Amino acid sequence: MDIELRKNLLEAFEGKLTKTISMYLETCSRCGICTTSCHVFNSMPRPEYSPAARAEVVRRLYKKYFKLQGKILPSLGEAKTLDDTALDDLNRAAYSCTGCRRCMTHCPFGIDTQQIMSIAKLMLVVAHAEPEILSMLADVSISKGESIDLIKQGFIDGLKRLEDEVIEKWKIEAGQIPIPTEVKDADILYVALAGAHSIIPAAAVFNAAQENWTLSFFEAVNFGAFVGDPSKTKLIMDRIINEAKRLNVKEVCICECGTAFRVLKQMSGKQSFKVSSITQVHARYIREKRIKVEKNIFKGTITYHDPCQMARNGGVMDEPRYILNHLTDNFTDMSKKPEDNWCCGGGGGLVALGDDTHDFRMKSAKVKADQVKATHSSMLVTACENCHSQLSDLNKYYKMDVDVKFLTSMVADSLIKDV
Amino acid sequence: MDTLNYIILVPMVYISFAVFASGIVYKVVSILKKPALPIPLKIFPEKKPVWLHVLKDTFLMPMVFKAKPVMWFFLIVFHLSVFFLIIGHIELVHVFSIFQIIEHEIFLGKGFVGLALLICLIYFLFRRFSSEARNLSVPEDYLLLILLLLTVILGSELDWARTWFDFGEMTPGEYQTYLTSLLVLKPDISEVTYSGHSFMLVFHVFFANLFIMFFPFSKMMHAIFTIPLNKIRRG
Repeated sequence: MDIELRKNLLEAFEGKLTKTISMYLETCSRCGICTTSCHVFNSMPRPEYSPAARAEVVRRLYKKYFKLQGKILPSLGEAKTLDDTALDDLNRAAYSCTGCRRCMTHCPFGIDTQQIMSIAKLMLVVAHAEPEILSMLADVSISKGESIDLIKQGFIDGLKRLEDEVIEKWKIEAGQIPIPTEVKDADILYVALAGAHSIIPAAAVFNAAQENWTLSFFEAVNFGAFVGDPSKTKLIMDRIINEAKRLNVKEVCICECGTAFRVLKQMSGKQSFKVSSITQVHARYIREKRIKVEKNIFKGTITYHDPCQMARNGGVMDEPRYILNHLTDNFTDMSKKPEDNWCCGGGGGLVALGDDTHDFRMKSAKVKADQVKATHSSMLVTACENCHSQLSDLNKYYKMDVDVKFLTSMVADSLIKDV
Repeated sequence: MDTLNYIILVPMVYISFAVFASGIVYKVVSILKKPALPIPLKIFPEKKPVWLHVLKDTFLMPMVFKAKPVMWFFLIVFHLSVFFLIIGHIELVHVFSIFQIIEHEIFLGKGFVGLALLICLIYFLFRRFSSEARNLSVPEDYLLLILLLLTVILGSELDWARTWFDFGEMTPGEYQTYLTSLLVLKPDISEVTYSGHSFMLVFHVFFANLFIMFFPFSKMMHAIFTIPLNKIRRG
């Protein structure tokens, strides 16, 4: 490995050594309790797939270059030299981890493997060894933010093609715009994904609730977070923050995208607006009787998959259940505690990598498929795009025989006209 | 041999505690000097009061009980035994009345605490040969367990000889003389090196010294970091 590259990589590593991450790297006792928590290890019990083994890939570099041990007795902790094979190991570790943080709930010390993997991902970015497609998608998002005026009109024209479908779900009053944009002082700025399925149902529900809302020009998904590039993560997030400030909105509502929700909720700092997920907003609408939904239009037993970034890592656990209990009498939970639910296996950028990761994503999520099958449900609901894609793939692969649905679309389809 | 005994029982003890204390201070200060992570890392659902759950996570380890109840049992017995043995060693310097809330002869447990600790250490060592921990383990893990095992075997045998087999030589009073002499910087090892089995004390102190010196530079720092890390997890 080139000396200059190693120097840059170690600088990047050192830049990540906060108090918390340093304690994570110093404290692991390698007890192996975390192996019980990882969906990858439990689906494919190979040593390299335990959370601690992934962390050790980073930790052994830490021991070599940031601890006295690495200089005087490196064999004590099997300290590793940063070379090309180490980069391969970092890649395997980082991209076999979805960052679900279920391991954190079992570790006696609460070690956050996702944070340790963020070191691995950043080092891969510095070495230009990260999955290119994720960086490219992040760059596309960033360039969109830099040249929004060029694409605005095209976006608005595209929205017009969706308006009839919005009205079909909820008829609006004459003169009302079904999908408003650029509304100054709106109460809610809704940030969707680049897809009609993310805009139409949400728009219908906002209109049904007579919400003062506006649609963001940007998509919520943060590929910078998936690839572990802090500067790209921030630039993508800043597009939405700047738009929210410019329009002086009170609340930014993130669509069904777990990572986008968690990034904006937890990484945007103190802002003049609050951040919520669309699931929380819909639960609020039902609770405040701003919308009414019809029960039991969806037949059969329904179960819910908690997106990790929304539930375990974002705190949105009660709201989807509240909504589902208003939509059906046949809701069954996958486990006694939502925090025990398995990751779908698609997070951390894995779904975005498409066919390249398909085989791994399917095999690594067997425990999730088993968990779904054990509910004997005919419908599997979730509130995250990545999870929906992954669960749909799992449905085919493991013949789960379920109808995979977005929670937002179910709310939209259940709207009752008289409020 | 007398010289070697003296080196281990006196200067090596001073050096080990100096390394232990300065090592811990160095480690903690070096962590505190690093920047804070600006994002929250808590796990949901939130449980309040936070501090109560932090202490529960740290000392009762409910997450370990859920995942591996047998391991949890050995961890609890191990840590409780260490706690009682620390009290026992403090009582070898001076008997504080608070420790005699439950009246007992030094050491509390009549030798069974040491036995329990020994069994736990054997469990922890052997599980590293055969479980998922094997693939994770590095030499440091085995070294720490072996050092502790040797320290505990030798220390427990000193105690068993006295409490189970009425071996009268080297009583707590004599250990107190030795340890107090170290504290007041007037070391006197005469009362603990006269007996035929004094070598066991020397080895016990030797291995304990090595463990104590290694402590701040190893994963043993989990003793310091567990509470703040659990606080980070709970928010």
